[in-house]
Amino acid sequence: MSFAERMLRIDRRIIFLVIGLCTLLPLLFPVGLPIKISSEVRGVYDYIDKLPEGSVFLLSLDFDPASKPELYPQAIAILRHAFRKNLRVVAMTLWVSGTGLADQIISQTAKEAGKESGKDYVFLGWSPGGSAVILNMGQDLYNTFPADYGGKATKGLPVLAGVQNLRDVAYAVTLAAGNPGVEAWYVFGKDKYKFELGGGCTGVMAPGLYPLLRSGQINGLIGGLRGAAEYETLVGQKGKAVAGMDAQSATHLAIIVLVAICNVFYFAMLRQQRRHERIGS
Amino acid sequence: MDLPFATILGAWVATGLTLFILSFLYEDNPVFKLAEHLYVGVSLGYTIVKTFDTVVMTLIVHPILDKGQWSLLIPVGIGTLMLTRYVPKAAWLSRYAFAFIVGVGAGLAIPRTISSFILKQIEDTVRPLLSIAPGEGVTFTFSLLNPASNLNGIIILIGVVSVLFYFFFSVEHSGPGKLVARAGIMFLMISFGAAFGYTVMARMSLLIGRLTDLIEFSDASYGRPTLWLLLLTVATLIVLSRRGNAHPPER
Repeated sequence: MSFAERMLRIDRRIIFLVIGLCTLLPLLFPVGLPIKISSEVRGVYDYIDKLPEGSVFLLSLDFDPASKPELYPQAIAILRHAFRKNLRVVAMTLWVSGTGLADQIISQTAKEAGKESGKDYVFLGWSPGGSAVILNMGQDLYNTFPADYGGKATKGLPVLAGVQNLRDVAYAVTLAAGNPGVEAWYVFGKDKYKFELGGGCTGVMAPGLYPLLRSGQINGLIGGLRGAAEYETLVGQKGKAVAGMDAQSATHLAIIVLVAICNVFYFAMLRQQRRHERIGS
Repeated sequence: MDLPFATILGAWVATGLTLFILSFLYEDNPVFKLAEHLYVGVSLGYTIVKTFDTVVMTLIVHPILDKGQWSLLIPVGIGTLMLTRYVPKAAWLSRYAFAFIVGVGAGLAIPRTISSFILKQIEDTVRPLLSIAPGEGVTFTFSLLNPASNLNGIIILIGVVSVLFYFFFSVEHSGPGKLVARAGIMFLMISFGAAFGYTVMARMSLLIGRLTDLIEFSDASYGRPTLWLLLLTVATLIVLSRRGNAHPPER
């Protein structure tokens, strides 16, 4: 067996080890590669930044712990920005399995910013129905969520003063790991009740959402860990996403090198086979 | 810094399960299966408890018993009809519930989806290929970085038409048609490449998330669970591997 053949039949565990090391080493010894801000992430940031103090900002945390590495830093960065701008934050989730995580994210960020539940922000929790919840909220928010996550009646909460339904929301952002997510919020929310919508999503979903961005159906998109790192940079509070970008770049480089090497060996093997065939004939 | 016992316990459980799951990269083994079953069981259990508390207790039982909202029994009745699937003689009753749900779902989704995706996306695709700016007359913008530029408009038009032609099987793809279909394949490949690139990025992000936690939990304040449980996992894999060699499976 030639060297090229041996390299092409390399044990996959060696590749896993290489990728593992490329991820682990930059996490242990960060380099701090520069992060370029994309226009799609800036779209969300700029819109929140321009909202007047006291505007109603709705954040739907439509993900569960399985997508935590990508969407958790996005949520933290957006909430820090919204609290810093003194917006009235209305948070909720369409994913029952993400309720606890969403509650933890909001409580932690609000505590850090010194915000008070019911006055500066409210976590509505989860309500059954998926996309129907968005439609119901468009009709009457209090019918959909008669009580917040803590069981307190939503009617009369200072944070919801003047808010009857989705038409009263100045800006909504959905951080989604699947369905219901960005598309559902556009189809059943923005398109019907006419409020501005931004999105955040896992890396897997991002290519499918770019058509919505180009057509202006959403005004910004935070894609995966990279998007989260960009938002953290914009907010000026570097967190888990920025810390992970060195590792992300290193693994991408490793994959590119592996793909290139495998192709070189593949073509070398082909040439070798052809030479053998010529000698044989 | 003294951490609460619950936090330390959580760190040990999270570290152990992460290492057990990652052990699959070496080979399929019982500790991976243990972690996999626990993951499915815990997430399902959490969902059932949360759903029961939010739907059954908060939205049905309390409003009926505390506020006398007896009209809620109508949706409850329709929902209950679904359970008749488990009684073969009464299973036909479930069709009423399904008919109601499918009818409402289709009625809500079809018009909104057509308007939001098909019409809106067509509108965006057929935008003018030249711009008319007031005072400047007809202009053409070349910026590839600006999604709204005229050059990008032309590229998108070529892409959409060629991909649609590639999937049009009523005409033989020969002559100029072959060229268009090949262009369609190229656009599809670029699209799949971008999607795959993002997928790789997403998977790496998940790995980064897990490794970040493992690094955090290697701290002495948690009792160094990463170190101890890594040793335990490696030892378990060695023992299992030796046992497997001693008793090779019958062929």
